[in-house]
Amino acid sequence: MSMNLSEFKKILGADPWNRDSETLRARNAEPEFERVAEDAESFERKLQSALNVHPPADLLGKIQGISKQPSETSNNWMTLALAASVLIAIGAAGVVWKQLDRLEQVETYLAEHYALDGKVTISQAAGAIPEQKIREIMTSLGVTAGPQLAERIRIIKYCPTPVGRGAHMVINTDEGMVTIIYMPDTQVQDGELIEFDQMQAYLVSLDRGSAAIIGSSSQPIENLEAMVRSSIKSGLLDA
Amino acid sequence: MTNDTDRTTRFNQLAEAYSTDLYRYAMWICGNDALAKDLVQETFLRAWRALDKLKDTGAAKSWMITILRREYARTFERKVPKFTDLEKVVVRDDDELEPDERVERELLRKGILKLSEKYREPLLLQVVFGHSCEEISKQLGISKSAVMTQLFRAREKLKVQLQKDGVTGNVHELI
Repeated sequence: MSMNLSEFKKILGADPWNRDSETLRARNAEPEFERVAEDAESFERKLQSALNVHPPADLLGKIQGISKQPSETSNNWMTLALAASVLIAIGAAGVVWKQLDRLEQVETYLAEHYALDGKVTISQAAGAIPEQKIREIMTSLGVTAGPQLAERIRIIKYCPTPVGRGAHMVINTDEGMVTIIYMPDTQVQDGELIEFDQMQAYLVSLDRGSAAIIGSSSQPIENLEAMVRSSIKSGLLDA
Repeated sequence: MTNDTDRTTRFNQLAEAYSTDLYRYAMWICGNDALAKDLVQETFLRAWRALDKLKDTGAAKSWMITILRREYARTFERKVPKFTDLEKVVVRDDDELEPDERVERELLRKGILKLSEKYREPLLLQVVFGHSCEEISKQLGISKSAVMTQLFRAREKLKVQLQKDGVTGNVHELI
């Protein structure tokens, strides 16, 4: 069945440079379709031109200057020690070392916890979990789990975290099972990606505590960030 | 020392490859040139710190967009930026355009800033970064069909805006 003009407009409205065989066939079949396609491409060129803004002339230089700073993952402990001593002198060292300690603590915890309980828990995942159970655990931790997350949960249970008790969840995604550890009283570096034992953990800072999204190296776990961020919220239940 | 040099080279390659597009993207999501500059610098600062964790260079673009979007969300919670004067940052190639084309482009720019984030973000990812609908879907964590609908509606709104402002040109009549 051939494409009608309305469908054709919708496809080009979403993707003006679409070159799918069906779209091309429709375009070549009727002059009206060809005219619509030409208009879509013409509009797109105007859009590209309108969006073309110049970055400030000094932007690239400033960015490249960043690489002169030490990295978080650098093993140059002498440099870190020197930097720390300077910071102590100005009274800020405590804050910096707390952050570094915290990151290491979270990395170690996730690697150890996952080695102990990660794969085993995933292997036990089956069907959906009753909403009541999810609500019970999450509410006791001071948060709610929005429906986008709740409907994907296949296992939920309490687990230890670097600071107090949290929730260990296994959720179903298009890319397979993924583990989420909710840590109500642990602060993390938002967006930090940690790797261990061919696994990766993406850390998300939440309005209460944090979460680690854990998957294999091939799973695009960072794509779940928005869902996790919008789903785990502190405060009272809406319902 | 070699590792440090390699790391710096890798970082500088990322900066050369993506800083302009990231700035454009930042500029159009926040509408403020000073904030856009800050966002891009902060993005690269975070990327530099975490560079060793980026194993797949092919994923660098999406990774950096993710950092920027997150930083923007965080910044936006703290302060609502004022829209910038676009004239300060737009490319000045007006000589090549007819007066009515210039007007049309200005209206388009204003229209883009008026779009809600829901429509503006996928449009920017597609036009500025050349993302496919699948890539946008992964970046924004929404379905491909939702992306297609938002892209279609974004363009529809811009075209309607142009028509409302009396610029028709060869913009095709919708529906």
